[in-house]
Amino acid sequence: MKLTINGVERSFDTPPLTTLLHVLREELGITSPKAGCQQGGCGSCTILVDGAPRRACLLPVAAIDGAEITTLEGLGTPEALSPLQTAFHEHYAAQCGFCTSGMVLAAHGYLEAGGTPERESIQEALAGHVCRCTGYVKIINAVAAAAGGEIEATQRWLPQPGEEAPVGIPGAPA
Amino acid sequence: MKAVGARLPRYDGVAHVTGRTMYVDDIRVPGTLWTKALRSPVDHADITGLDVSKAESMKGVHAVVTWKDVPLLEYGHLSGLGIPADEPLLAKDVARYKGQPIAVVAAEDEETAQAAVEAIGLDLTERPALVDVRQAFNSDAPTVHHWGNWYPHFEGEMDRRQIRKGSIAEAFEQADLIVQGVYRPAAIEHVPIETQVCQVVPEADGRLTIYSCTQALYFSMGVVAAHLEVPLNKLKFVGGTVGGGFGGKVDTATETMCSLLALKAGRPVKWRWTREEEFLCSSTRAPWHMEIADAVTTDGWILGRKMLTLHDSGAYARFSPYGLTKHSFHHTGAYTIPNLEFDGYVVFTNRVPTTAMRGFGVTSVSFAVESHMSRIALELGIDPFEIRLRNANRKGDTSPNGIAYTDPSTIPTIQAVADELGHELSADYRTATSEPRTGEWLPEHLVGQLGNPEAH
Amino acid sequence: MTAPDVLQPSSPEEAVSLFEAGVTVIGGGTIVVPELTSGRLRPEKAMLLTGAGLAGITRDGTRITIGATTPVSELVSLPAPVGPCAANVADMEIRAQGTLGGNLCAGEGIEAPRGDLQGAMLAVGATVRSVGAGGETTEPLEDFLPNRKDRLLLDVSFEEPAAGAYAPLIRPHAHDYTALAVSAARAADGTVRLAVSGVAGHAVRLPSAEAKASDAEAASDAAATDVTFADDALASAWYRNRTLPVLVRRALTQLQEDS
Repeated sequence: MKLTINGVERSFDTPPLTTLLHVLREELGITSPKAGCQQGGCGSCTILVDGAPRRACLLPVAAIDGAEITTLEGLGTPEALSPLQTAFHEHYAAQCGFCTSGMVLAAHGYLEAGGTPERESIQEALAGHVCRCTGYVKIINAVAAAAGGEIEATQRWLPQPGEEAPVGIPGAPA
Repeated sequence: MKAVGARLPRYDGVAHVTGRTMYVDDIRVPGTLWTKALRSPVDHADITGLDVSKAESMKGVHAVVTWKDVPLLEYGHLSGLGIPADEPLLAKDVARYKGQPIAVVAAEDEETAQAAVEAIGLDLTERPALVDVRQAFNSDAPTVHHWGNWYPHFEGEMDRRQIRKGSIAEAFEQADLIVQGVYRPAAIEHVPIETQVCQVVPEADGRLTIYSCTQALYFSMGVVAAHLEVPLNKLKFVGGTVGGGFGGKVDTATETMCSLLALKAGRPVKWRWTREEEFLCSSTRAPWHMEIADAVTTDGWILGRKMLTLHDSGAYARFSPYGLTKHSFHHTGAYTIPNLEFDGYVVFTNRVPTTAMRGFGVTSVSFAVESHMSRIALELGIDPFEIRLRNANRKGDTSPNGIAYTDPSTIPTIQAVADELGHELSADYRTATSEPRTGEWLPEHLVGQLGNPEAH
Repeated sequence: MTAPDVLQPSSPEEAVSLFEAGVTVIGGGTIVVPELTSGRLRPEKAMLLTGAGLAGITRDGTRITIGATTPVSELVSLPAPVGPCAANVADMEIRAQGTLGGNLCAGEGIEAPRGDLQGAMLAVGATVRSVGAGGETTEPLEDFLPNRKDRLLLDVSFEEPAAGAYAPLIRPHAHDYTALAVSAARAADGTVRLAVSGVAGHAVRLPSAEAKASDAEAASDAAATDVTFADDALASAWYRNRTLPVLVRRALTQLQEDS
């Protein structure tokens, strides 16, 4: 079977009902999607299948043979965060971080499908994602900010050699 | 001091949003074995037989560990605070709660480990179970614990936390009304999105590297060292990256069990709990049963409080005596009550042992105390803000155990809440302060409890 | 470990010819896959329907036909009660993966009732085309449901109702199933059909309430006689008994307003 993951084609041979989550984490070493419940109930395993958010723990790989998969690593890197990743960071939308991968990818799918900053629409898109740390408000703030185009296209957080690391987050909300 | 007042980025924020954060389950060590546990299927039973031979000889199984393999089977996590050990790492003669671990298996993959668990011969003779703390004191109640049905090892071998102040009998006699209430907050499961998980690597030099999701790295290191009877320098703990704990990852035992498996198998071992295990077998916030009877006057003074607390510790003590102790200190809440009779018990039941969770011991009593204040206000027909301000702690008032308050913030807090809600307070209450009681704020019955706020 | 023998038909005809009683059928996988992962289900044979060409919604005048592996998300735009019922299932990601067939054929859940769409489809008088023992059958959904375990559902069809309504107990969270829900529909000829999901076994019609449909109060009082309630992790039988009349009344009131 074949999957294109973050633009790279990977082949693997595994029983057809093996979940995508298992293939990603255990066979391909991509550990950003998490095994929070293995029942589709928490959303921490969500990745993009052909651009749409899906639960990796519920997908038999044979059902998506040949698909394009995007994981959190595929959205941006510490050197070049996507606007949405920047929004999550600036708005303190991650505490322990365990739900973050699923949240960001679901939010990304929402934005790509034309999602607006309207809070109720964001809540509907993220309804399947559980967070035990943040209380959700800052997550919704982050997605709303990204949807509203308030975030610059690229942000760099790692200081260049010789540069002093910035102390505060420029323009972060008080 | 550039950091003060600045909006600082989380040091782990960028890693979180780019998927770089490495939790325990993301660590990859070649040759790692998977762990599954045999757990008690019933609330209470004598273990009359345990046969792991079939499991041990199964293809793909590298180690099976039972109580026999544990150098020190019982170690009290809070023995440093005077709470003796009572809980075996793995059950020996008796299973005291559904889900209690009896044996652990390390195998090549999850299915093999699960099949091995199912191949373990377990003989049980069920015993009656106690699941309601209120029945623990009945003469015909099932016996849960070898110490009896409630914890007997407070200082001086007391079987309860007891606070006596003034004369409750006088207070009840002088009262215009007795207001009673029963408060029973239920157990709460922490539900961290990351379930409990541990990875242990036996190193060539004989040490163990332990990747742990514990909230308390050095604490857990001590626990493992104690059970294994090894010096601390035999262990290297790697941790601090926790996918949510909230108190549920302070009494972890997975590190010890995986260490024993890793030593026996000579291979790295990982154990990741399923969500079902997390819900059914991991420790929870305790359920509490609290009864309060307050002697009150019609103008809203609380003359005395009689209180009984039953704390449901589950099958073993863990941190419950400590939680109850904190609870006891706070049984008057933010209010000054001169006559007190408080008794609190740590009760054992055949349920999953309870543990810490955000403010444990105190959230229960805060809930009960505040609910009761509102109940008193309702029964007396008094404004709920004013009844609180009247009885609020002030400088020089003393706590249940006689310590004088130096800087209580009850009054300004309540006034601020009233402001925020647009709730009108009458003049006296609007201008009340935390200064030592005088005049109308110092009725006769509160004179005797005054202490010296400068005494610290 | 023995993995199941997995059949992957690439056409409806192949799916029909490969189907046999006892094979575990997988539509989207949202219900079956967690059972496989946990080890609660260890089938010898499974059939994955992803590539079997059984998805799609077709209209022939007012008749709507929905293929078995059509994702629940595609039903959201259909008329009430089907549309709102579909929109109330889980969350967006699960709806996009779960299928109509998987939902209708779901076995009784241990902790919570499954198969919300059974109720909505009963209310619109849906018929089911399926294969199994005795070959291919087309029958009313209420006749199919008791035997759903042994059949391969191919498609479901119904006449678009003149009016429809869906009245569920509100779920505390998207990952919860719905404890109880009443679906109502008025056919073109004025007949009102009522059905309830979240009861023991599978969703059922409410004939006693239907007989009094013109009087919402009378109908809501009569409904409980048609139902066997069960306790589960979501709600007790007692609670469902108390709330059924409320939902019947709501559904009928909404139905009035929808016309």
